[in-house]
Amino acid sequence: MQQTATIDPISAAQGEFERMMARNIKGLNYFTSPAPVVGATPREVLIERGPMRLNHYRPMTDEVYRVPILLVMATTNRGFIFDMVPGQSLVEFLLRAGFDVFMLEWEAPRSHERSLTLESYVLDFLPAAVARVREETGEPDVSMVGYCFGGVLSLLYAALHPAQGLANLVTFTTPIDFSRMDLFSAWSDPRFFDVDRLVDTFGNVPGDMLYASFDMLRPAARTAANMRLYDNLWDDEYVKSFRMFERWNTDTLPLAGEYFRQTTKKLMWDNSLYKGTMTVGGRAIDLGGITAPFLHLAAEHDHIVPREASAPLLGMIGSPDKQEIMLKGGHVSLVAGGNAIKRMWPALANWLAERSI
Amino acid sequence: MLGHWEKAVNNFGGDALKSEEFVRGMSAATAATANMQANTHQVMERVLAAANLPSRADFDDLARRVAGIEATLARIEAKLGSGGPDPAKPRPSRSRKPPSKAS
Repeated sequence: MQQTATIDPISAAQGEFERMMARNIKGLNYFTSPAPVVGATPREVLIERGPMRLNHYRPMTDEVYRVPILLVMATTNRGFIFDMVPGQSLVEFLLRAGFDVFMLEWEAPRSHERSLTLESYVLDFLPAAVARVREETGEPDVSMVGYCFGGVLSLLYAALHPAQGLANLVTFTTPIDFSRMDLFSAWSDPRFFDVDRLVDTFGNVPGDMLYASFDMLRPAARTAANMRLYDNLWDDEYVKSFRMFERWNTDTLPLAGEYFRQTTKKLMWDNSLYKGTMTVGGRAIDLGGITAPFLHLAAEHDHIVPREASAPLLGMIGSPDKQEIMLKGGHVSLVAGGNAIKRMWPALANWLAERSI
Repeated sequence: MLGHWEKAVNNFGGDALKSEEFVRGMSAATAATANMQANTHQVMERVLAAANLPSRADFDDLARRVAGIEATLARIEAKLGSGGPDPAKPRPSRSRKPPSKAS
């Protein structure tokens, strides 16, 4: 005989009422309490120069892998996406897995730093960070791990410094064919977008402007996120996670004017990295010259760097030991949050461990 | 249901935001903001000059000089040897092996 489940309308209404009360009480708490503290893993700042910050995290094991890891953050966002809170921190995960971890992250360029260029990042900041990591560890080589545009900077560095001790190169969600970033490509159409006027007027490109561009990539996302937040206000973990990501998302950094002008013209307009005509400081970039073991981690539902924009990368790298792993998730959830903890972090640690002895 | 709505609006919005009309409008708005900023800047420069107060350019110049002094200090610090590794810092041994090779 078939049994049908019955719902008691009184207990259901009672449950919904309790949830509503919890939502209202915690909603009040949401507006009156500070956001969770992020980026709290113990560290030492080794270099603080211009917008550049090089951090060294305190090792958490008595024995570490020989090769240190240098995380390279994208220039538009804060580095704490790699170090949210204990238990949700890629840095902490790597430290506990036995790696010696450094991170190169960025502060907002100051007004007089508008003249910083792509060369400043690729030929000055990155080499300075690598040299300091080598000095600090006494090891001749490092594993460089770049996220989004941090990945582009890492690729440019690797192509220009093939003999300078790069043990491994890892990039996350890194674009190579900028013509396939549909919306950014349309918005920077040289027929309409006057990058010279923008940079000449503003100096540095305001973070608010960049944030608005990222936000417009998914016009309904903000409204939907707020509706989900209201629905889940009773759930402390959800609210905590929402606040961490929201804080990171809205804290978009300004970009140095000349750097923005160059990247717009060279990458968005000329698509020169993909076409093989890219130069930095007058030196040609040949990704085929990168021979260090290479790993690219791509996200299936990346709305910022669509799959088509990063797909050609693997084929362009010269290394015989190269691999791409496609993981579920989006541009941000690939590197932080529950999805990352389950999928990306173990994949990264395993790949690096084999190549860090 | 919220997910469906979000996806539909994102798809529709994405197409609209890619259109030439929108891009033209967005670029015009950016240009207007830039013009406004430039005009405000000019007016402020005159006001500050009239009030005998330092302008943004003066502050930029000062910031550049301070950055130059910072860079010089960093070079001196490096030459003095205090920029290197701290000998008192705990140094774990660098001999760890991946689980598959450790046994």
